[in-house]
Amino acid sequence: MSLVESPSAVAAQPVRGALGRLARSELRLVFGRRRNIVLLVGLSLVPLLLGLVLFLTQDSALGGQGPGFIGNVTGNGLFLVVAALFICLPFLLPLTIGIASGDAVAGEASAGTLRYLLVVPVSRTRLLGVKAMGALLFAGAAVLSIAIVGLVAGAAFFGLRDITLLSGTTVPLLDGVVRVAGVVAYVALSMTGLVAVGLFFSTLTEVPVGAMAATVVVAIVSGVLDQLPALHAIAPALLTHHWLGFAEFLRLEPDWHVLGQGLALQAAWVVIFGALAWSRFTTADVSS
Amino acid sequence: MTHSGAMTEQPMPQMPTTSRRRGLSNRARWTVPLVAAAAVGIAFAAPPLLASADSSGLPTISPEQLAAQVAAAPQQPLSGTVVYTARLGLPALPFKDVGGANPVSLLGGSSTMRVWTDGAERSRAALLGDVSEYSVVQDGPQAWTYSSTDNAVVHYTLDAADTARYDDLSAKAAAGDLPVTGDLPTPAEAGQQAVAMAKQYSTVALDAQTTVAGRDAYQLVVTPKSQTTLIGRIVVAVDAKTSTPLRLQVWSRSDTKTPSLELGFTDVSFGTPADSVLSFSAPPGASTKDVVVPLPEEGAQAPAVPGTLPEGVTVSGTGWDSVVQAFGVDVPGLLAGDPAAATSLPGAKRQFDSKGAQQLYDQFAPENKRGSGSPIGSLDTSALYDQLTTVVPEGHLLTSALLSVLVTDDGRVLVGAVPGATLQALAR
Repeated sequence: MSLVESPSAVAAQPVRGALGRLARSELRLVFGRRRNIVLLVGLSLVPLLLGLVLFLTQDSALGGQGPGFIGNVTGNGLFLVVAALFICLPFLLPLTIGIASGDAVAGEASAGTLRYLLVVPVSRTRLLGVKAMGALLFAGAAVLSIAIVGLVAGAAFFGLRDITLLSGTTVPLLDGVVRVAGVVAYVALSMTGLVAVGLFFSTLTEVPVGAMAATVVVAIVSGVLDQLPALHAIAPALLTHHWLGFAEFLRLEPDWHVLGQGLALQAAWVVIFGALAWSRFTTADVSS
Repeated sequence: MTHSGAMTEQPMPQMPTTSRRRGLSNRARWTVPLVAAAAVGIAFAAPPLLASADSSGLPTISPEQLAAQVAAAPQQPLSGTVVYTARLGLPALPFKDVGGANPVSLLGGSSTMRVWTDGAERSRAALLGDVSEYSVVQDGPQAWTYSSTDNAVVHYTLDAADTARYDDLSAKAAAGDLPVTGDLPTPAEAGQQAVAMAKQYSTVALDAQTTVAGRDAYQLVVTPKSQTTLIGRIVVAVDAKTSTPLRLQVWSRSDTKTPSLELGFTDVSFGTPADSVLSFSAPPGASTKDVVVPLPEEGAQAPAVPGTLPEGVTVSGTGWDSVVQAFGVDVPGLLAGDPAAATSLPGAKRQFDSKGAQQLYDQFAPENKRGSGSPIGSLDTSALYDQLTTVVPEGHLLTSALLSVLVTDDGRVLVGAVPGATLQALAR
């Protein structure tokens, strides 16, 4: 009965080092799982394929065309990072993150391993924290894999040179690299809200696919609602509203206020859905 | 599945000492998200409320004094963010199809611009798109526009002779002996004149002091006396410290809740911007187009005498009810980008007194250019025209919250801040 009734009952006698061991095993689990590795590889194929296609077509009539930053890539490989992130942002990144974070708790529940995890002498709060850390690090790894492969592929295909900003000003390569690093960091941080949402859904169900799908749906519906002029009033609160704010880094003078707003919005989603996930997970009746 | 059943239903005598040592019941745990949501709500709602809470304490002044202050104030070096919102009641347009930051998007919806100026000759304005930007940079006698979507630069310059004349003029202006016909009114006089002129057709008053972009501001309200115009009132918020206009709102008579047109700073700081912001050089790889702009002749410099209109243009009505009528304009031809049609415009090669207006005109005036570099870009202007206007017996009518335009089938164009029916009656 003790297992069922309360998390703190099982964690009554915390064992020194248990949290660290749990965290390490969670990281091994997340980054060692074949599905997750395939996801990371798939994401890193995006800049590679994009670079290859642009490289092959750059001398044709279609060269230098495309939405977002795709047109700029052939001129400067650094833009491949931004263009790949731009392409992955609406769907592929939310999908990857939805899979990882939706699986975090529901996956254990569905495999019947959650009750064994709860026997670990670590409180449910900390266990949830470890799960959140695993999902967050995976989200970061997903963004980083796009960025690193994009940088390498961009440098190989097109070379890196001084970067022309959206404002038409050309800044030195080092400045450009710092700005693109800012873009990558901002995109990675923009995913934290979605991770929290996924984690919450994951605590609701024992069917991981349900949690994953719900998480992806949240991101996509939010993106759609953001496009509707009629919902102008609630748009600033939508999860995806500031996702494209990364473009700020590519303007002449980045407006830190805009970037701050984007990060504050993510923080708000993390706080609310983190709290929801905590309430659910620490009160849930775990039976599998 | 031995571990089943809701825990709350179980009698658990030992709970207070062991399992509930954190002292939080299930219900209490579920209040945490509520508290978190409330805290987040407050954190996001409070700063704007606090910012707008205190806006009193400015000395009371009259509209004339305010106008005089604005006229007297030197142009401030500043940088800031300007948000422009148009609720003109135009049909919904596929603005997303325009692609990226594009001046056409100013027709409707909300646009954000960044502006920088050193208060004298150099300035930059950037219209922000999601991942694009349309920049206009002015540096003395030359100007550039850059569209990040097309990676295209348009460079506006004067020819050599005009540049010399421009330099000469600006040197004279700096020395303070600009050849001006007649006496320049003092700022106080100019302010009085402006208010007096406005008072002829409108009531001018000061509204409650407000806060714009975090700065205390006076609000000058101009309300038309006419009951037939579309314009309800015009409100200008003027910074109390620097007398810089910070916000312009145009309210229509039909919508009293939100302004139909709003242009205002959301963020402003006074100080000379960095040199890198105010200079421009065409980025490598961009398509560049040079346009030589003729400087107006010495004689044309003097402001046009009121009452002399370009040929083919008449004005009927007075004050706010004025309707401008132009004859012999081939609007559909113009929209189709037909260069021949451009010559049918009354005063086709218009010259403006202000350089800014000239640039604006040159930028939007049909220049036989389509596609790359053109602000209209690949937009199908004829389709846009059909979408915006409705067919009436007299021709095509465009009605918006503030302005009506009637293009008659016999080539007349009527424009006025009056209801469309008034224009139709005039055209008959």
